[in-house]
Amino acid sequence: MKKLLAVPVAATAALSLSAGVFAGDINVGSVAGVTGPIAELVAPIVAGRNLAAEHVNSQGGLLAGDTLNMVLADSACDPKAGVDAGGKVVNVEQVVAVVGASCSGATNGMVQSVTIPAGVVNISDSATAPSITDLEDNDLVFRVAPSDAYQGAALAKLAYDSGARNLAMTYSNDDYNAGIAQVFEKSFTEMGGTITANQAHEPNKASYRSELSTLANGGPDGLALFAYYGSSGIAIIRNSLENALFDKFFAADGMFDVSVIEQIGADNLKGNIQITQSASDYDDVSYQTWAELYKATGNDPKAPYAAHGYDATFLIALAIEKAGAADRSKIAAALREVANAPGEIVRPGEWEKAKALLAEGKDVNYEGATGNVDFDENGDVAGIYGVNTVADDGTWANELIK
Amino acid sequence: MEQSYGIFLYIISLATMGGMYAMLTLGLNIQWGFTGLFNVGIAGFFAIGAYVSAILTSPETTRHLGGFELPYIVGFSASMIVTALIAWGVGKVCLRLRSDYLAIATIGIGEIFRLILKNETWATNGPRGVSMVPKPFESLAEPYNQLMFLALVLVTVAVIYLLIEAACKSPWGRVMTAIRENEPAARAAGKNVERFRMEAFVIGCMIMGLAGAFTAQYLKFIDPNATELTTTTFLVWVMLIVGGSANNKGAILGAFLMWTVWSASEILTSRLPDDMAIRTAYVRIFLIGLALQIVLQKFPSGILPEKRPKPSGSHE
Repeated sequence: MKKLLAVPVAATAALSLSAGVFAGDINVGSVAGVTGPIAELVAPIVAGRNLAAEHVNSQGGLLAGDTLNMVLADSACDPKAGVDAGGKVVNVEQVVAVVGASCSGATNGMVQSVTIPAGVVNISDSATAPSITDLEDNDLVFRVAPSDAYQGAALAKLAYDSGARNLAMTYSNDDYNAGIAQVFEKSFTEMGGTITANQAHEPNKASYRSELSTLANGGPDGLALFAYYGSSGIAIIRNSLENALFDKFFAADGMFDVSVIEQIGADNLKGNIQITQSASDYDDVSYQTWAELYKATGNDPKAPYAAHGYDATFLIALAIEKAGAADRSKIAAALREVANAPGEIVRPGEWEKAKALLAEGKDVNYEGATGNVDFDENGDVAGIYGVNTVADDGTWANELIK
Repeated sequence: MEQSYGIFLYIISLATMGGMYAMLTLGLNIQWGFTGLFNVGIAGFFAIGAYVSAILTSPETTRHLGGFELPYIVGFSASMIVTALIAWGVGKVCLRLRSDYLAIATIGIGEIFRLILKNETWATNGPRGVSMVPKPFESLAEPYNQLMFLALVLVTVAVIYLLIEAACKSPWGRVMTAIRENEPAARAAGKNVERFRMEAFVIGCMIMGLAGAFTAQYLKFIDPNATELTTTTFLVWVMLIVGGSANNKGAILGAFLMWTVWSASEILTSRLPDDMAIRTAYVRIFLIGLALQIVLQKFPSGILPEKRPKPSGSHE
């Protein structure tokens, strides 16, 4: 047994000799699914992270001119590899914070068994699973990618603002739709709305008439529908219209497809259906600034989560600067202060300005390429959503929800 | 100082994962090394063990079956029992097949189990996985929590090792080897070949299920990506072949050695410039193949080859 243990010990000892942390370097972990099922999505995200580090280093660096050094590790989209990669950056590379680890599963494993116990703050740039929200994280787990569940809240506000007060709701019994529906119900009732009936349905049934007539009892203003258009959504809308049970619909992005208009008819839907969908504010000055800078590196700014990678890294740099030391617990505490209001607004690429403001002891509020990145008490951001309605020409028209 | 403490913690995690792989290689060694059963469905049995233990021990949630919050000992035992029962059913159907036909059947069955676990969302939360799985000793202070978990893993590996060693030296083990080497001869000697093959298959799968349970508990999370074939089937085969199949010490050595190559090689590649670091992540997979080639060239039967027990009082 002794001999067996000697192998890894000797190997790591040999590797650690070559490690040598340079003076003036502050390491930040950059954990990503470099290999594995989403490999082709990850390279632009890592480029986004590295661009943020480049901006920091070319505009005065961290603290007393220290270099922000991103240490890449491969989570392979696999919780086993994510925990291993997280262990390496936290323990061997002694990083002060971690960005990553790409996939929700790898992130979930890594934060629970490595970064939370070690007291290291983690910002995820692409994990959207709702389960990450309820981890007992000692306020160490943040994400700039919105949880799937936030769409439920966005839709509830949309429905309430459009005048609906009494709604019936039904959701397809799968994780994604059930998750959004749960949040919708909670948000809508908190705003003062009433859910008259709430029923799950199994997808792929020929008819939903009996469910719908139960749901229509009491004459609600409309139906909140959480389903995929192909497996049940279109059938539910058709059954509702045929039997005059519902004529107003509020739906999440599982229903967003041209075939809904094709099969139900634009005339039947115009003014009667609103569908939310995750979006980005392409007119925002922060996004445009970032997109120019990112395009110059030879990458496409519309690459999924590339902007999130930039924002996550930039926020960590701001938190280090705000904390005034490469100290894990101070950085974790400072993160909210630099991300949320109040404070002078700092945008992507403006490291020099941020550094100067922080040196004067002023508050900063980072407005990123992905939105205002204000963290709530769970460390989540609300994200930006668009609403789709049927336009006069019978196509979907998209508008940003402000 | 912090640096060396960090490396100490890393070595603990390296040994912990190595220990869990050692369970898998020991399980496979009973099947392939001693009895000659070509099982390529390791990932399926690993996944069953992992999910059973995770669901039984995790706190209540609306996302999947659970809320039992049983002690982890129950989780470990239940995962072994469930995998054993399922392996028995699989064995009933598949074990009539020989060599590569058995390989094809087991790889299919392993995938079926993984897909069931991925699609039965009500029980397993589907692709989103089971989260907040309790980890033994996690309430202790660092590094004692990690040391205690490592100790638990190593003690389990040691117990499995001693039991298998004893079994293989016993008449039971001799029959296994006889079946591997010459099945008609074993049959002619009056041995119930089917029963022995079944026993080896069930015991091997049971240990793989236990390894899955340990992994879920260690990661505090399990999802279908954690049961991917590359790291839970093929890597296990490489470990056993490199270490030396039909030698339990070899199986353990292979697990620790190859996991160290797999994990620690990244400490070097992450030091390269960014563009190269992304590409060299794949070099780690290449290194595993290279190690396999070198070992097979230099040591055709693994680093620690099989030691046949000396027949007492008989000639060769």
